[in-house]
This record gives sequence, C-alpha cells and structure tokens, in this order.
Amino acid sequence: MLREGVIVMQSIIEVEGLEKLYKKKRALKNISFQVKQGEIFGFLGPSGSGKTTTVKILTSQLLYTSGRVKVLGSDPARSRHSEFLGKIGVLTDNSGTYERLSVYDNLALFCRLYGVADRRIETVLDAVNLNDDKHTLVGRLSKGMKQRVTLARTILHEPDILFLDEPTSALDPVNSGRIQQTLREMNSRGTTIFLTTHNMQEAEELCDRVAFLNHGEISALDTPQALRLQYGDRSITVTTQQGKQVVQQNDAGANLIRELIQRGDLLAIHSNEPTLGDIFVKLTGRGLE
Amino acid sequence: MTFSIRRFRAMVKKEWKDSIRNPQILLNAGMPILLAVLFNQKEDEPSDLTFLSIPILVAISITGAFVQANMIAEEKEKNTLRSLMLSPASKLEVLAGKSATTTLFALLVIAVCLAISGVPDVNIVYLIILSILLLLIFMALGTVIGLIARTASESSIVGLPLLLLFIFGPIFVPNLDLPALMKIIDVLPSHQFMLAITALIQDGGLSQIGGNLLNLVLWTIVSLALCFLVYGKKRFDK
Repeated sequence: MLREGVIVMQSIIEVEGLEKLYKKKRALKNISFQVKQGEIFGFLGPSGSGKTTTVKILTSQLLYTSGRVKVLGSDPARSRHSEFLGKIGVLTDNSGTYERLSVYDNLALFCRLYGVADRRIETVLDAVNLNDDKHTLVGRLSKGMKQRVTLARTILHEPDILFLDEPTSALDPVNSGRIQQTLREMNSRGTTIFLTTHNMQEAEELCDRVAFLNHGEISALDTPQALRLQYGDRSITVTTQQGKQVVQQNDAGANLIRELIQRGDLLAIHSNEPTLGDIFVKLTGRGLE
Repeated sequence: MTFSIRRFRAMVKKEWKDSIRNPQILLNAGMPILLAVLFNQKEDEPSDLTFLSIPILVAISITGAFVQANMIAEEKEKNTLRSLMLSPASKLEVLAGKSATTTLFALLVIAVCLAISGVPDVNIVYLIILSILLLLIFMALGTVIGLIARTASESSIVGLPLLLLFIFGPIFVPNLDLPALMKIIDVLPSHQFMLAITALIQDGGLSQIGGNLLNLVLWTIVSLALCFLVYGKKRFDK
C-alpha cells in the first residue's frame, strides 16, 4: 500500500497467543508473530519444536486450541475451504506426485483444480527448469526433480502466500540452489513466503526475518543481521604469518591490528559474526538437527 | 459444500489415466472376469439359480470395493491425498471422482462378465436398481478399507475379511451346515442381492424382492454414512 511515498507493508499473517494442545502436551505455547506482505519469513527450529503444527494451523489442516490466527485477513479454521486454499500454496518435504502420470499430466490436474489455464504449465516448468522433461513419467525422475515438480505444482496458481515446510531437505546443493533461486524470483514478484526449516544456511540466504521456535515457544524474532549483531561477541579474527588470532573490539585490539599493519604482518581480517545456528544454540542450549 | 463439475471431471480424467497403468487395479478388475470364465464352465443346474447372479455379484463387489480401496490407499501411501485436500477440491469432489472411475471400471467388468456368462433373463429395471445399490455399498466399504489401510498392498489384506464374508459367504455357506454363520450371511447385501436376482429369474416382482431391496437400501445408507464419517477423520493420516 503506498501512502505519501512511504511503503507500508500490511500483515498477511497475524498470530497472537497461539496455543495448541495434543491431549496433555502443549505443542505451541502462547506464540505471537506477524508476517508482512512480500516478506520471506523463516520459522526455524529442530524437529518436534512445533514448526509443522504451526504450518498446519495456518493452512487450515489443524484446529488450534486458543489464541488468534489470521491469514489473508481471515481465520483459516473458519475460511471458506476452496476460496482460502486457492490463495495459498503448501509444499512439504513429503508432498506426493502421481508417479504413473507425466510431469505435464500431474500439473494439468492441478491447473483444473485451481481453475488455471494449461498454458501456465510451460511457465512454471521453465521456472523449475523441467520443460525438457514434461512428457516424462514422474516415477522415472530423480528425487530432486520430483521435488521441483511439486514446487511447480505449488506455484501453478500464483498463490499470495507460499508455505514451505523443509522444501529442500534431502536435496543436493545444486537442486537446493535452483529451488532457492525460484523462490527468490517468486518473492520478487510479490509472493509472501513462510519457510520452516532447520537448515540455517538456507534461512540466512533467503529470509528477511526469522523466528526461532524451541519446545513450542518463540525464543527470538528479528532479521538475521540484527540477531547476529545482538548475539555476536564483537570479536575479530586476524590472520598473520604466525597463524590466526582472535582480538576484541577495544583499544588493545585496535592497537594490535595497527601494529600488525605497520609491520606488514597482517594477511587477513574477519569479523566473528555468529551464524544463526550458533545463536540458536546460545539461546536454547540445543542444536537444530 | 460446493461441487465443481470442472474439478470433478479433472479428478475422473486423472483417476482413469492413473488406474489403467496400475497393475494392482487391473488385477482386481480382471479377477471377476476370470471367475466368470470359471463359473461358465459349470454345467447348468436348473435347481441352482443363484449361480446366475454370481458373475454380476463378483464383478460389482471386487471391482467396487477393491479398485476404490486401492485408489484411496495409494493416495495416502504416496502423500498425494494431502496435496489434493490442500487444493480447492472438496472431499466430495475427490471422492466423487474416484467413485465415478470405479463405476466406469465396474461397468466394463460387468459387461465383459455378462458377455461371458450371459445376461440373466430378468426385469432389467430391477436388475439395474439392485446393481446400483450393491455398487454403492461396496464402493463405500472400499473407501473405508482404503482409508484404514496405510498402503495400497495393505488394502488387499484389510479387505480380505470383506472378500471372504461378503462375496464368498453367500456363494458357499448355504451349501454348508453352519446355521450360526448363515444367520450373518442372511443379512448381508450380497446375499440379499443373490436372493433378489433368483426371485426375478423365477418371474418374481416387487412384492417378492421388496425385502431384499429394503435391506440393500438400509446397507447403502449405513455404509455411505460410515464412509463419510471415516473419510472426515482419516483423510490426512497415513
């Protein structure tokens, strides 16, 4: 929305005080966050932290116990099924494909379910680089190619929000990179992306903001850069002929670096920003795998 | 609940393309034809008119229940049912698409079975009504089997009791001295279907098959209700 030359981004997902109980187990404990339109929002946490439960609630697959949830302006639990699902796309690491049908026939089915013209198939196959294989039976494709077919299917109807649950898990780096590139292109065309992952590198590369989920609670939420600055120890690693040395950003450190430069001993200098994985461990005391 | 003809047709087209390449479904559809060939070898015994209804019963029950069960269980096994339910397709459209494809298979198999065994000389309107009701019952039971089974091959195991009781029960139990089991067989729709066809062959009318028809209508209502209940609860689960 443009207002007096300032871009005001609307919240497309609003979650407030969300709780989910499975019998006596609290899977989500009073979590609150907002996702702005056009944002890539990372929901990070280890297995069992509540990521998939959150995605299921946001995509109307699961009812929540208490709190308030709004996706595209309405509560997913009370939205009109066809209308709501026509505006979102959901991709999980175990989204299935029809293996006895060709890539084209798989997508043609979903074109008709979403009311999209068949010509859109060519566009999405180009996006995931599968146009040469469109007449191949899906059962004959590699795992990475199948994952690209499911991504193509998820973006066929140009959803307003894409929910991606571990989209590149078990993919090789080349295919992961290709899918990430497609996601960036979609995001640049205005699609909001809600990404759950335990792959910190993927989150760092893709996400505008990230939330850390641990045992059903959000322990931090900010941009990756802000989190790195907040939780980094502001040290610097200098590399000399003698090896590497960590120095603090204070007067003593500054003097040491000046001295090394004057002597011509300094080979390299790097700030020691923590990774998102490091920050997660620092905050929660546990790793992400 | 909305119903889109476009989405329904898309489902039928997909199911048909997928099913004709599925060896397990083709095997299920082929089994009644094989049985029709075997029963055709039996010499005519005018006293045993029930044998005239067996090819239709077997075609409807095996195709209706097992093709449907296989289609649903495989969707769960391959995680494609979840993808369908996350599209705008409603559960009614998905189920109707599968049921229409099963019906197409059943009609083809019935046609082939009747071509082999011959069409019983009965009132065709009653035969169609009885066959439709029986097909609905077995498709509903097939849907339940498909939802309970975790994999396509497991659907054959889960469905085995149904096969033995509903299909072979009315064929073989009347010839055995098992009154307790016969009491159960007596209320099964498959047995009532055979009794109705036998009555029709003997020039019976609505008054003779009224009880059988009522049994089939009640089974249709109960099995469809059970099917929708289980479908609502288990559609996403493996």
